[in-house]
Amino acid sequence: MIHYENVHKAFDLPVLSGVTMSVHEGEMFALFGPSGTGKSVLLKSTIGLIRPDRGHVRVAGESVFQGGKDTLERIRRKAGYVFQHSALFDSLNVHDNVLMGLPEDELRGERGVRASRRVWDALELVNLEPTQVLGKLPAELSGGMKKRVGIARAIVGHPQILLWDEPTTGLDPVNTAAVERLIMRLSRELETTSLLVTHDVEGGLEMCDRVAMLDGGLVRFCGSPEEFRESPDPVVQAFVDRAAAEAALDLAGDPSGLA
Amino acid sequence: MNGAVARPVTGFLGGFGRVGRLVVEHAGAMGQLLWSAALATVRMKVSFREVVTQMYVMGIQSLPIVLVTASLAGIVTSQQGGYQFQGNLPLYVLGSLVVQTMVLEMGPVLTAVVLVGRVGARITAELGTMVVSEQIDAYHSCGRDPVAILVAPRVIAGTLAMPLLVAIADVVGILVGMFAAKLTTGLGYEAFLYGARLFWHSWDLLYSLTKAFAFGFAIPLISTHMGLRTGGGAAGVGSQTTAAVMFMTLTILVLDAMMPPLMLQ
Ligand SMILES: Nc1ncnc2c1ncn2[C@@H]1O[C@H](COP(=O)(O)OP(=O)(O)O)[C@@H](O)[C@H]1O
Ligand SMILES: [Mg+2]
Repeated sequence: MIHYENVHKAFDLPVLSGVTMSVHEGEMFALFGPSGTGKSVLLKSTIGLIRPDRGHVRVAGESVFQGGKDTLERIRRKAGYVFQHSALFDSLNVHDNVLMGLPEDELRGERGVRASRRVWDALELVNLEPTQVLGKLPAELSGGMKKRVGIARAIVGHPQILLWDEPTTGLDPVNTAAVERLIMRLSRELETTSLLVTHDVEGGLEMCDRVAMLDGGLVRFCGSPEEFRESPDPVVQAFVDRAAAEAALDLAGDPSGLA
Repeated sequence: MNGAVARPVTGFLGGFGRVGRLVVEHAGAMGQLLWSAALATVRMKVSFREVVTQMYVMGIQSLPIVLVTASLAGIVTSQQGGYQFQGNLPLYVLGSLVVQTMVLEMGPVLTAVVLVGRVGARITAELGTMVVSEQIDAYHSCGRDPVAILVAPRVIAGTLAMPLLVAIADVVGILVGMFAAKLTTGLGYEAFLYGARLFWHSWDLLYSLTKAFAFGFAIPLISTHMGLRTGGGAAGVGSQTTAAVMFMTLTILVLDAMMPPLMLQ
């Protein structure tokens, strides 16, 4: 479904130096890696937000960077993108934010009525009460609610592919668990292919069919969660151990004991 | 000895080279931005409501500060002119001085400089924040064109609002200058207007509004261009806004200097 082939990207310093990786149709795929290794850059290249210096990205059989504008538009319609910091439009209320997730030609005329209905459904899917949030501006929402609205915007167009950029970063343990349940449920109900970038290694290993780890601009590991846990690679081991220690710390530090 | 002199000189010339490259690069990028905005406009992708909103923000909301600066410019020109002319020239020449100064220079340039601070800086900071908070990426991911949504309405609104603001500034500056002349030098309104008519060409008004048009176009174009090129988090928004204010102010002064040879022959 998604193929990265020898993807290179440098800003001031090299970030990606030859990433080759595939996400199969219908699977849930987690991508780990220390911060600053280019996970977001790779995710953004999937829908053409960042152009690699070298290499190919193919989505659903089409080349993201060689097909021209129409191809890019088609790919963007197929994919929903959940941004790391929600990236809600400040000046639009929740209804209009989610509406942006639908293609422009589905908003006109009588289809506009159906569009509002779909916004409503999407908000219910992410466990928000539509009557309470529809008219609110992003500034009036809590961090966890913003995340949900961002997810609603990504799923409202019923995408075949969902790209998640650290959907649980910055959330407290209760919200983290809730959002992770949401990711699982949505991927199953909407039958999407999901690529999940996350720092929550334990959560990712539990949820996903396959996982990969990016390090030093390359794919350091790609395989099943069990293989990842038992990998003899010392870099992967150190990463798993550190993640486990952090998870334990989170648990111990959570006063509600609900995590 | 030679080397000690040569190094600062080549450094100085190298600086010019860098600035030149920078100017060419920005001009190219702004040309592209303008082209995309024009395409979005002719394809009817620009929301009329957003243009009206932006005209309200740029025009109506700027009116108080524009009125204050125009009034002060009228007062100062009138008083300083009166001080210079007293005992040397017939006082009614003051009418011409105030009118010509306001219409040719102060009205357009002061209004533009005020709008750089009030409107331009705000646009750069707003769009810059949208870049670093990934809202621009979000527009693309939703299949929307941020140039049609953010850039085109601001450029259209600025180009339309500025001539109106400058016309108001011209009139207010002249009227306040006339009152000030009466109060400080005792010059009557009749004499003031007689002096004003003596050197008046209707071309001058067109000149004033052409300047306004150029400035009203440049401010939103530069500020949106700079905003969309922001990088590097909150600090990036700050430094980019400062750079945009410098860029816009310089552009206005350069355009202002280019106008006389182009239009006043
Ligand atoms: N638009 C950009 N301009 C310049 N540098 C960038 C840009 N986007 C990402 N980078 C740099 O690329 C590197 C990887 O960033 P990112 O993909 O966000 O890392 P992460 O793996 O934490 O998501 C970082 O060093 C970042 O500074
Ligand atoms: Mg990231």
